[in-house]
Amino acid sequence: MNQREVQAPKPKFDPITLEILWRRLISIVDEADAAVARTAFSSILRDGHDYTCMFTDRQGRELAQGTLATPGQSGAMALGIKNLVRKLPPESFRPGDVYITNDPWALAGHLNDVCVLSPIFHRDRLAAFTACILHHSDIGGRVSSDNHDVFEEGLFIPLVKLYEAGQLNEGVLAMIRANVRTPDQVNGDIRSQIAANHVCAERIVRMLEEYRLEALDDLAEEIISRSERSLRESIARAPAGVYRAEGHIEQTEGAPAVVIRCAVTINGSDIQVDLTGSSPQVDWGGNVVYNFTYAYVHMAVKSIFDPDIPNNDGAAAPIHLIAPEGTVVNCRFPAAVAARMQIGHFMTEIIYRALAEALPQRVVAASGGTPATMQVFYGRRGDGEPFHTVLIRGGGMGAGAARDGEGSFIFPANGANTPVEILESDSPLIVERRELLPGSGGAGKQRGALGRREVFRVPSDAHAPLGPVHLAMQSGRFSLPPEGLFGGAPGARARFLVNDQPGNPYGLTRLSPGDVVTMDSAGGGGYGDPRERDPAALARDLAEGKIEWQGGVRVGGQSQGSE
Amino acid sequence: MRVGIDVGGTFTDFVLLDDSGGRIETWKCLTTPRDPSDAIEAGLRALEAQLPGCTARLEEVIHGTTLVINAIIERKGACTGLITTRGFRDVLELGREIRYAAYDVFAEMPEPLVPRQRRLEVNERVRADGSVLQPLDESAARETVRALQALGAESVAVCLLNSFENPAHERALKRILAEEFPGASVSISAEVLPQIREYERTSTTVTNAYVKPLTETYLRRLAERLAGIGFHGRLFIMLSSGGVTSAETAAEFPVRIIESGPTAAVIAGQYFSRLFDLPEMFCFDMGGTTAKSCLIQGGVAGIVPTFEVGRVQRFMKGSGLTIQVPVVDLMEIGAGGGSLARRSRLGTLQVGPDSSGAEPGPICYGRGGTLPTVTDADLLLGYLDAGYFLGGTMKLDAAAARRGIEEHVAKPLGVSFIEATWGIHDLINETMAAAAKTHIAERGGNPRVATVAAFGGAGPVHAWGLTRKLGAPCLIVPPNAGVGSALGFFTAPRAFDLVRSHKTPLATADFAEIERIFRALEAEGERTLRRAGADGRIEFARSVDARFIGQGSETYLPVPQGDFAKLDREELRRNFDAEYERLYGRTYPESPVEFVNFSVRASLPVQLLELPKLARPAGGRASDAVKCERRAYSGIAHEFVAHTVYDRYKLFPDASFEGPAIIEERESTVIVGEDGKVEVDDYGFLWIQKREA
Repeated sequence: MNQREVQAPKPKFDPITLEILWRRLISIVDEADAAVARTAFSSILRDGHDYTCMFTDRQGRELAQGTLATPGQSGAMALGIKNLVRKLPPESFRPGDVYITNDPWALAGHLNDVCVLSPIFHRDRLAAFTACILHHSDIGGRVSSDNHDVFEEGLFIPLVKLYEAGQLNEGVLAMIRANVRTPDQVNGDIRSQIAANHVCAERIVRMLEEYRLEALDDLAEEIISRSERSLRESIARAPAGVYRAEGHIEQTEGAPAVVIRCAVTINGSDIQVDLTGSSPQVDWGGNVVYNFTYAYVHMAVKSIFDPDIPNNDGAAAPIHLIAPEGTVVNCRFPAAVAARMQIGHFMTEIIYRALAEALPQRVVAASGGTPATMQVFYGRRGDGEPFHTVLIRGGGMGAGAARDGEGSFIFPANGANTPVEILESDSPLIVERRELLPGSGGAGKQRGALGRREVFRVPSDAHAPLGPVHLAMQSGRFSLPPEGLFGGAPGARARFLVNDQPGNPYGLTRLSPGDVVTMDSAGGGGYGDPRERDPAALARDLAEGKIEWQGGVRVGGQSQGSE
Repeated sequence: MRVGIDVGGTFTDFVLLDDSGGRIETWKCLTTPRDPSDAIEAGLRALEAQLPGCTARLEEVIHGTTLVINAIIERKGACTGLITTRGFRDVLELGREIRYAAYDVFAEMPEPLVPRQRRLEVNERVRADGSVLQPLDESAARETVRALQALGAESVAVCLLNSFENPAHERALKRILAEEFPGASVSISAEVLPQIREYERTSTTVTNAYVKPLTETYLRRLAERLAGIGFHGRLFIMLSSGGVTSAETAAEFPVRIIESGPTAAVIAGQYFSRLFDLPEMFCFDMGGTTAKSCLIQGGVAGIVPTFEVGRVQRFMKGSGLTIQVPVVDLMEIGAGGGSLARRSRLGTLQVGPDSSGAEPGPICYGRGGTLPTVTDADLLLGYLDAGYFLGGTMKLDAAAARRGIEEHVAKPLGVSFIEATWGIHDLINETMAAAAKTHIAERGGNPRVATVAAFGGAGPVHAWGLTRKLGAPCLIVPPNAGVGSALGFFTAPRAFDLVRSHKTPLATADFAEIERIFRALEAEGERTLRRAGADGRIEFARSVDARFIGQGSETYLPVPQGDFAKLDREELRRNFDAEYERLYGRTYPESPVEFVNFSVRASLPVQLLELPKLARPAGGRASDAVKCERRAYSGIAHEFVAHTVYDRYKLFPDASFEGPAIIEERESTVIVGEDGKVEVDDYGFLWIQKREA
């Protein structure tokens, strides 16, 4: 920071002006967000909101983020951009520069998340940074979770200038275009990210002028310190101590479960999450970079202590993460990382379990939607036309102290399902069922939400596809069910059946006409002793057929017949 | 002679229009929630007293109602059952499986309108292309229907997979229902709205079924009462999409009148933007609890294909029930005169989104409110006259309001009383401006060229501040804000929108088949309008919803009338690309496109409305309308400055004056800063623009 600034008298922001400016900042990113929604190709391919707009002060401290950002990207980005900005000398930025990178270690943990970063100048001085990260549907490479290193997974773009002082670096763009399957769409998406940054920059400069501000630093100080204080106040109310939990995450058949050791220390208003002792990195795409681990640690802390505070650097300050390098939660380059959610999504649940004793009202039991399930069906229709359908889904939410688990969701990530009618018109598949699985919610004083079943048939009549249909998956919970809390039973395990026989959910499945695939997602864990369940709630469960009686015994909480 | 009747949460408004003389009469009375037709009858009797003989001369009653939306929010609809394809009874409960609040693990989801035990399945299956995979098992279906009857269902929704491509099984079930369960009210998805996406269609059909019995009863009763007081004309109901339809059609498809009330203001705005030829207009209606706004481009308000009702968290997108019917593109946020002000947890000022509501209301109303609101701040800033609120019929307590702001805002925040008070006013403007900017940006509009139009009780007080924050060049305030929106009833076309989904790639689509779809939709649109007594020529407007294959949402594209089979495929593709580029700034000519929905709007030409013009007094000067001077707060000078107070009823065409000014009428007050100048036009609209420096 230069001399002049340190000596300048600090303009005071009264709490009202501060709120107005703060709101303005959030509305500026939301406007940038709307610009991406309107122009990007990839973000509309799925119903998730798979992009994040944000900006930081000139030290790279996050100030505001689009309100709809997904937790994974949002947490990882805040950390990633700060590190990137601090790596470069401040004098290297020029007006009109635009940087691009998809470095998984610097950003959000896989190559598809491409980031465009622009410095903002006001009165010829660096004032802020704005960034837009977007999940590109295509980044080249071999699209699979069983790659052995990141080189197989697609194009790796280090931090380079796409524009230098307003001048497009044609070579960088040509390099990207040559390495992807759909160059025009990738190019279009990059352009919409640049447009979003442009919207952000223009609005920020206008605000600085309107309020006669030199830079954002003082405002940043206020926003960050108040958010930090709010989160700290909430953490400080929790009983101090060290809370431990161990998570076991299944991986490819035959391989032992990945172990996550977690010690959460609440010390005054600070919270430390130490993952020392967790399994070493693995030989497939499940490896998680530090930033992505951090994102779901952050999700856990924020959702427990202060779900409503706006995302900014202050919400990160009290959180300290220790994740030893070379472990599956902080993998070393060049590990394969494409299937990072299969392990990364578990961070939130493991921290919940660690803190359950200390904060029983604020956590939920494990959810069937951890990790998210992604299924890709591809092949050729009867007329030879190729089809490629991506489905995402979660499972039953875990129960909490005050309420049953509610809904079948992806958690702690998020995303919408694909309607059956859209799926059937996009592919030759027939969906025979998409329904709740009675009995799959973990029993408890509060019951876990039900998992759900989806049954697909490959037609064998005149609508049969040409040749086999391939099914690739990222998923979990087939052998280790979502655990309950405080005596609550676990939810039912996920099941993957091909023609009623257990299939291999971690491999590529070849399906022939007539084959039937059943995918049962896991139910949520229960909370509290099932014998304490309110009889009225039990009666309602029975009336609605959400639990079943078999020979006088309640069925629920255990998967039926998978062992 | 026509009358528009808007039944709102608190008041029922009446506007009587004499088309021959351009004369307007108004009436307002309290809504009677138990039976809204009580207030309607009382109001019409009052109008009859004002203008003897008017009831018998009425040709049309046009009615907007919150009956349906209230029944959904309060869960007071019929005991409803649902019949689905085997394997899909839980579609209604699963929804789209997205968490609307990413960080809130305890976020509550809306309870489905039909519990699981009344969701029954039948054996049948239609494929995506409309061919039958498995025929409907009729005898089992009969048992299913009897089972629903035994479960106490009064109304039955039927939604089968892919029925938009082939409704045969749904129709068969309708017949079976009529035979086995003749007392039941029946809604089948192929008739409610045959659109792709099973959750949205099921939710829409179920909602229709849920409110159908009570809507039928209410509209029948209303028609009887109207006849009882000597009305011989026709009864029309405002649709959420901005058209009006017959009471019979409304009773059949009540799900289409959910947003019946707020739509009138949008249609009025649409009319004004055409009358004054304004290419881009931002309509802004601020009441007691919320602000509703809408962007009107080229004289047309946007129509969106889905919306939500009964949100568990009022202003959280995704926390309500999805309804897939065309509805005007209205944005609603928690910013109104009653929005509560307090210190946030972060130590800053917070205003809204929660509101003091009608009861107890702002502190200054003196009805028990203890928490300060936007209206309290407006009063203390000198914008409202404590002695002339609602034309002087309601006295305001400024001292109590001041104590409230001191205690709940100024002291906790450590700021002066006046900083706190101005802060409340300014922050609510900022909140509305922020929401407006995103709303406008998402629709490809530009606030810097838009004209803001202000309605509602609190709208004109905040409109100039909002206009300034948006950077919009001009604000208009129609005379008599309440009537201003009810005028929409008279300018709405008699129209009905029909949609059918049929997903097919543009490159290989059978255009003759598409022409058949359009013709069938047009025939049905014509039948609906003729049933409502339409004679005269019916106009049809065709459109498609198309998208890049793999995209999650569609782009609306008008297509020319005339034989679709004769259209040029490549030209259609170019039109799609042009429209996509216009909306989103770029297109992807190399990516294949598919059609998803085919839509027809059938309408009768709009009956033109002649707005009454104001008399122009000879030699009149604006100063004749001056009531007094009042000190009010200037957000520019940051102190109280003298504002000239004008009586709106004494203003006349071409009168003009500069701010700072306050223009008062019975139900609202217009505030103009020292940076604004005001002109009055022939119709009594105020045109407020930035004064040249």
